[in-house]
Amino acid sequence: MIKLNPKLSQKFAVAFLFCATIVAIIPVVIIIFIIIKNGYSAISLEFLTAMPTNGMRSGGIFPAIVGTLSIVFCAILITLPIGVCAAIYLNEYAKDTLLTRLIKLAIVNLAGIPSVVYGLFGLGIFVMFLGFGVSIIAGALTLSIMELPVIITTARGALNSVPPAFREASLALGVSRWQTIRHIVLPNALPGILTGAILSIARISGETAPILFTAAAFYLPHIPRSPFDQVMALPYHLYIISTQIPNMPKNIIFATALVLLMMVLSMSLIAIIARIYFRKRRKW
Amino acid sequence: MKTNLYQNKMLIDDLSCFFSNKCVLENVSLSIIKNEILTIIGPSNSGKTSFLRTLNRMNDFNSDFSRKGNVFLDEENIFHMNMEKLRMRVGMLFAMPIPLPMTVYENVIYAPKRLGVIKHGKKSEMDAIVEQALRDASLWDEVKDRLDSSAMKMSGGQQQRLCIARILAINPEVILFDEPCSGLDPISTAKVEETMIALKKRYTIVLVTNNVKQASRVGDRTAFFLMGRLIEIGGTAKLFVSPKEQKTNDYITGRFG
Ligand SMILES: Nc1ncnc2c1ncn2[C@@H]1O[C@H](COP(=O)(O)OP(=O)(O)OP(=O)(O)O)[C@@H](O)[C@H]1O
Ligand SMILES: [Mg+2]
Repeated sequence: MIKLNPKLSQKFAVAFLFCATIVAIIPVVIIIFIIIKNGYSAISLEFLTAMPTNGMRSGGIFPAIVGTLSIVFCAILITLPIGVCAAIYLNEYAKDTLLTRLIKLAIVNLAGIPSVVYGLFGLGIFVMFLGFGVSIIAGALTLSIMELPVIITTARGALNSVPPAFREASLALGVSRWQTIRHIVLPNALPGILTGAILSIARISGETAPILFTAAAFYLPHIPRSPFDQVMALPYHLYIISTQIPNMPKNIIFATALVLLMMVLSMSLIAIIARIYFRKRRKW
Repeated sequence: MKTNLYQNKMLIDDLSCFFSNKCVLENVSLSIIKNEILTIIGPSNSGKTSFLRTLNRMNDFNSDFSRKGNVFLDEENIFHMNMEKLRMRVGMLFAMPIPLPMTVYENVIYAPKRLGVIKHGKKSEMDAIVEQALRDASLWDEVKDRLDSSAMKMSGGQQQRLCIARILAINPEVILFDEPCSGLDPISTAKVEETMIALKKRYTIVLVTNNVKQASRVGDRTAFFLMGRLIEIGGTAKLFVSPKEQKTNDYITGRFG
């Protein structure tokens, strides 16, 4: 090995790390560029608010947008309270026993299960066993089970970021554990929990496999009337029009991808803004 | 016992404490007399903090902690009492000031509100509690115009007195101070000491301090801890002038510690 002088090796390292960063973001930029370039010509108010027509080859994607929003909204409504409660229990109450350690380990590993497995699980439990049928509620429950480990993990992180000294100070005054959590820990952990939740929404909006067998319809040009209705969903709709429909206009495919992308990105953006806002207001 | 003349506020009976089976306090017995300031001195690691945190059961949150022996508050065994009730009666001040992330006003009224001490929830009632507590902690004049600003923005000395005010607001009987001046400058220290002496009339005070001079300034009686044992306890003046134990003498003359 040749020995480089320290200054030179420093320069090499920086250059190398910079290149790695560029390599990481180039594909993302290219994807976004291609999607925008090919899709923006089909984007219009009508495209966003009309029903698909002519075997989905023209018209809009309104039912798919509504479908995705309703599934995701229901899913977060289910998963957030349960996840936060579980995180509170694990962080603030559970003693450090073998069982709780196993539970924590399981939660971390649950996040690594492929989403199609959750889809099949949802099909077996919610669609068939519980008889919800292919419906918003079955899809939402499947997504919420999939997202639960992530919500629990981010919520635990947020709870951990509240200094233990605050808890001690409150407890030393004779305030009960629950009151301490309710009035000291939760208000200070809320920003972290909320940003985590928004990022989860962004993540599950784009999921296809879990809703494939549990919620999504091939073609259903109307708006759902109850949680037990089947719906169209953006990711699945995108899959269909790009693979299953002959003579599909390219710009509609890309426009649909663009809408999905924008939905996800704007959620992430909201999360980032919320985080900055809360950080500024933080009092310690 | 020669303390029979006085009224015992707390009685520590053969107390031993362990953290995961490591003994940090060994067979400590002593009494705390009503309306006195008992100072506890001793080198680092001698178990002073562990002792204090046992008196209001703050150690009970630590699953590694266990103890033998008993502690009585007004003849009632604290380990049979409701923990929250005990901590309302035996308040504790930590070495580092820990203001809660809220305004000065909210900091003081936090515990009375949560503990349901405020009966009618009237603003005037809360104002009165806050003012009284801040006056008793000699902080009122400095903060009366900025009660609504964040407590995190105050100086260290002010924060520590705010923490005292927070305890006074729930009107405890005993207050445990764990090196309350370790992070403070001499002027802030003097203010906290004055406050403690003024509070003696209404409260019983236990003060742990690393500062031997401080112990001699404010203590009525002083206890010397070493390696988890109570070596000596007695009137402060007497203990400093003519200690019975050689080890005490070595410590107060600065020969070790
Ligand atoms: N939470 C804890 N877990 C495990 N061991 C602890 C804990 N708290 C204290 N100890 C141990 O108890 C012993 C006594 O510590 P303690 O804090 O009571 O000493 P101290 O006299 O207050 O010292 P200092 O003057 O440095 O504050 C130490 O050996 C310490 O390691
Ligand atoms: Mg200590």
